[in-house]
Amino acid sequence: MNKSFGISILYTLPMFLITFVFITGGKPNFSDPANGLAILLTFLGMNVLYFLMHYTGKTDKYRAILFIIFALSLSFTLISNMVETRNSMSFSQADVVECKIPFCHLVIPMMIIPAAFTKSIIFPGSIIGGFADISAMLVLWLVATIVLGRGFCSWGCFYGGWDDGFSRLKKKPVIKKISDFWKWMPFAVLIMVSLTAALTLVPTYCDWICPFKAVTEFEQVTNVESAIKAGVFISLFGGLVVVLPIMTRKRTQCSFLCPLGAINTLSNKVTPFTIKIDKNLCSDCLKCVEVCPLFALTPDGVKNGKVSVFCSKCGKCVDACSKKAIHFGIKGIPAGTMKNFSRNIFLFTSFLFIAVFSSGSIINSIKSLLNLIF
Amino acid sequence: MAESFILGLSSGSACLVTCGMVMFPYLMAESAGTRRIVADLSVFLLTRLIIYIILATLAWYFGQAIFSSAGVKNYLPGILYIVFAGMLIWYSIGRNPRKECPARIVTVIDNTKFVPVLLGIVNSLGLCPALLIMLTSGATQDSLVKSYIAFIAFFAGSSIWFIPLTLAGKLRKKQIIATIGVLATGLAGAIFLIKGITILIGGIINE
Repeated sequence: MNKSFGISILYTLPMFLITFVFITGGKPNFSDPANGLAILLTFLGMNVLYFLMHYTGKTDKYRAILFIIFALSLSFTLISNMVETRNSMSFSQADVVECKIPFCHLVIPMMIIPAAFTKSIIFPGSIIGGFADISAMLVLWLVATIVLGRGFCSWGCFYGGWDDGFSRLKKKPVIKKISDFWKWMPFAVLIMVSLTAALTLVPTYCDWICPFKAVTEFEQVTNVESAIKAGVFISLFGGLVVVLPIMTRKRTQCSFLCPLGAINTLSNKVTPFTIKIDKNLCSDCLKCVEVCPLFALTPDGVKNGKVSVFCSKCGKCVDACSKKAIHFGIKGIPAGTMKNFSRNIFLFTSFLFIAVFSSGSIINSIKSLLNLIF
Repeated sequence: MAESFILGLSSGSACLVTCGMVMFPYLMAESAGTRRIVADLSVFLLTRLIIYIILATLAWYFGQAIFSSAGVKNYLPGILYIVFAGMLIWYSIGRNPRKECPARIVTVIDNTKFVPVLLGIVNSLGLCPALLIMLTSGATQDSLVKSYIAFIAFFAGSSIWFIPLTLAGKLRKKQIIATIGVLATGLAGAIFLIKGITILIGGIINE
């Protein structure tokens, strides 16, 4: 599936132009050297990764680099923004009352029922304008989810890079067998947080559960309840985002907790993109099942040539398959046919999303680091 | 109220998993049609509501007697929540394969007219961890009215599952729904576990 140098450059050219226009706004401004250098590094880095995806034929390897940098840079940007504006990573009740909390896509499942019945947004953030406003984030998530399905979880999520990164630290998993039973947990979490949010009009997942509060912003510890909340955030982050991914080589937070992941799983039914198994080439080695970070592949599924709706199209199984039997596909096109066409279309679309989502925070982080060093 | 509703809703799903297959044939077998099904189901639900109202009253009065001293009030509710929530988590996640519906005993009765009433009584009084949590909740409310509200919310949450019981046989992917229900029960247990810890630590600090 890898291409010649020239062909790979040709495939990269449209991405090069689009990211250039998007990142620079069509008018590059290098008056601030740190900002200019940050833009240049981000722009070149992204396009080198995209080029390498085409040149080497490997997807997940280069996607993961950008995905992990995205997660780290977003946390860095958020924290630095909090510290700059509030002198702390924590927010006070006054910030809540003034709707100054940056919106995050993980709140979306809790907003649906209250928005439908009370016509109100139960998140204390800015609806239009300001840092990470609700309307912009909603539109971005909706478009990405319709186009990519659960691909959002590997090509668009702001936090997935954390457990994706930790899941790659050990070469072999310490815990090898995990029951399939647990992969239904995000649906239970989705039901619980949607209902509790609807009944209490409080985004309960953010308020009590979200592990990423540990690396973004959290409620100021002023009483027993807020101290326990902080303990829950840190424990879940440590357990599901750090320790378990290292021990299992799986994205355990995404697989066992994230309620948005559950919604994105359902959206896999509508997206045109999918992963296909060519049974004529498959040797049933089950390497794909072993490497799948989200429990989307099962031995029975592979034997029947089926990939479940849990798939986030990260490409790890595609990279791991020595027979090239598993590949990116488009619904309606039979497995084993038009492999290059399907992969090129999917890569262009999905990479565009991650490039658009991540460029701002990566540029900000590089700029802050440069200012810190020089 | 929200907590009680959620507890009822989540434990109701587990109740459906364990008791659905016992209750479903008895509620439906002798039915001549929708009217009879609705009538039987209404009697069953009404019986449960009455039992819960009685339990709310008893829990609150016993609570007033037991939790009257500040020392007990600071520690005991927290400890009870922690123990019962732990039991609820074990009950759902541990999923003892030999676990049977407490209402199974009703299946030996010949007079089918009383079956919905008896099913309602046995189902409400089955000492599952969720009910133990509710008894603790009812006992620690400020007033009897609040205890009633908590139990009614619990009743409402758990009753939702019995309404589509008539469709249970037609549902596809029942196993997935049952699995999600069981996991949701475990999560409800986690919510009350945290509540218990919060009360206990708060009690220690107040001491």
